Amino acid sequence: MNAPSAVCLLLVLAYPVLYAGYLSLHEVSIRQLRTGEFPFAGAANFVKLFGDERFWLSLRHTAVFAGVSVLLEVVIALAIALIVNEERVWLGRVTRLLLLVPWAVPPVVNGLLWSFIFNAQFGYLNRTLYSLGLIQHYVNWLGDPRLALGAVIVAYVWRTTPFNILLYHAALQGIPADYYEAAEVDGSSGWTSFWNITLPLLRPIIAVTLVLRTTFAFMVFDEILAITQGGPGNDTWVAAWYTYRVSFQPPFNVGLGAASAYVLAFILVLVAIGYVRVVSRRIEY
Amino acid sequence: MRRISRSYRIFLYAVNLLAIGFLVLPLVPVVLGSLQSEKAVQRDVYTLLPREYTVANFQLILSGGRQRGPIFEQVSYLPASVERFPAAFRNSLVVGGAVTLLTLIVGSLSAYTIARLDLSWTRALLQASLASRMVPLIMLMVPLYVLFRRLGLLNSLTGVISAEVGFLMPYAVLILVPYFASLPSELEDAARIDGCTRFAAFLRIVLPLSTPGLAACGVIMFIISWHELLIPLILLNKPEFMTLPVVLAGLVSDYFVFFTLMMAICLLGLLPTLALVLGLQKYVVRGLVAGAVKG
Repeated sequence: MNAPSAVCLLLVLAYPVLYAGYLSLHEVSIRQLRTGEFPFAGAANFVKLFGDERFWLSLRHTAVFAGVSVLLEVVIALAIALIVNEERVWLGRVTRLLLLVPWAVPPVVNGLLWSFIFNAQFGYLNRTLYSLGLIQHYVNWLGDPRLALGAVIVAYVWRTTPFNILLYHAALQGIPADYYEAAEVDGSSGWTSFWNITLPLLRPIIAVTLVLRTTFAFMVFDEILAITQGGPGNDTWVAAWYTYRVSFQPPFNVGLGAASAYVLAFILVLVAIGYVRVVSRRIEY
Repeated sequence: MRRISRSYRIFLYAVNLLAIGFLVLPLVPVVLGSLQSEKAVQRDVYTLLPREYTVANFQLILSGGRQRGPIFEQVSYLPASVERFPAAFRNSLVVGGAVTLLTLIVGSLSAYTIARLDLSWTRALLQASLASRMVPLIMLMVPLYVLFRRLGLLNSLTGVISAEVGFLMPYAVLILVPYFASLPSELEDAARIDGCTRFAAFLRIVLPLSTPGLAACGVIMFIISWHELLIPLILLNKPEFMTLPVVLAGLVSDYFVFFTLMMAICLLGLLPTLALVLGLQKYVVRGLVAGAVKG
């Protein structure tokens, strides 16, 4: 009964991972793809990769992107999960119904809609800020090298936060009300109850979301393609975008792309191991 | 339930309004944009609400570019995405349906054995499923492109479907395992004593009992497939095979961007999954939580 799924894992996961390793050590470009012969290239792809300034730039952007977006996702999701967990106002039911709305939006649609919101001439962010009197002149959010990456992070975080809200909300529902009542009897206020009861009990699920969300943030692609295509200049090049551009756009250097994908996967393994270490140490007491 | 103070109640209403604003406000420009003409959007750049509304964008898209109406009558250039929309919508439905069905079949078989048999290889399969979620998709796409090119699977929906099934199957297993594990095994045991094989017991007893779990998994599989851009973007380049996200992505590299048309296409593209999420919220929530926590 397990044969089909084992075949899936082998064919679509294990085999490509190994084959990517093979490709990264061979010269594979548009000409080799036509002839079907891939000459051995040793470490040439990796040498070229590590000598490429845009690769390092992409890694730096990816690190900033992942760090900031994961932090925002956790904080915003925690806040909304706590709001939704208070069931004594009817408006909370409306919020609960709408929790998954951003998650339902296709990532590429999300990118396009934010590119409209951020538009410099007639975007709705500029319109809103202008109507509120917060800005005098329209801001070129996506054309300014200092703002563009932040704009993409905002778009991405909006779509991905609901996933965290769900998990935190489910965990909050699992905390027995007695805990809080006992704390109240002992004179504990809302804020101290949050720090001493809620947060410690949520720690395992927060750890899970940290690992998952960091991994996904490292793979961000759709929003980059739909909002900035790496621009302005190279200011929003991230790791997945780098791999995509070198592999699937001229000069179609698939070998180089495989090498960069391997480096990305290696970094992700390190991140995952690091998180698991930190998390398992803290849960022990 | 205890009564709450007036000021706390006002505070709760305020934060709930903030949360609702966060969740839905970014969709308002999509609706406003899709109901205007491009001219109006670019003329009244300081107003929040449009002065006049039109459904011309939707007419144009749903007719595949044929029904132009007064607004688009004199427009000489239309984005290719408009013409491709109806076919892309169909392709996305076909791919999404096939991926959902196949991941459910393959995933439930595997998840069931993992849930019932605690053996070293079932544990290994579960761990492999977990680990595969950490593999960057772009890393798989480079070798898959080379492989599919050799096999002649580029530019076919079969290629896209098999790649998505392979990529999503481990996730389906993670969602289904806790569900099967929560079912009591007594019924199957009784059936097996009466002479049922394990497979027959699975088909006749476990599957009918697990419709809620299968629904949760299936709706999530369909939504992820409907959202998937990278796999079809790399495996397809002929317009007639493109799925909706690929056609949508084509809008950004256009020679001239109609933002109003773009927003109308976006709205049509997000409605199916939005309807599924709002209509089947209970299942989606259950599946997402199960897939992330217990695996």
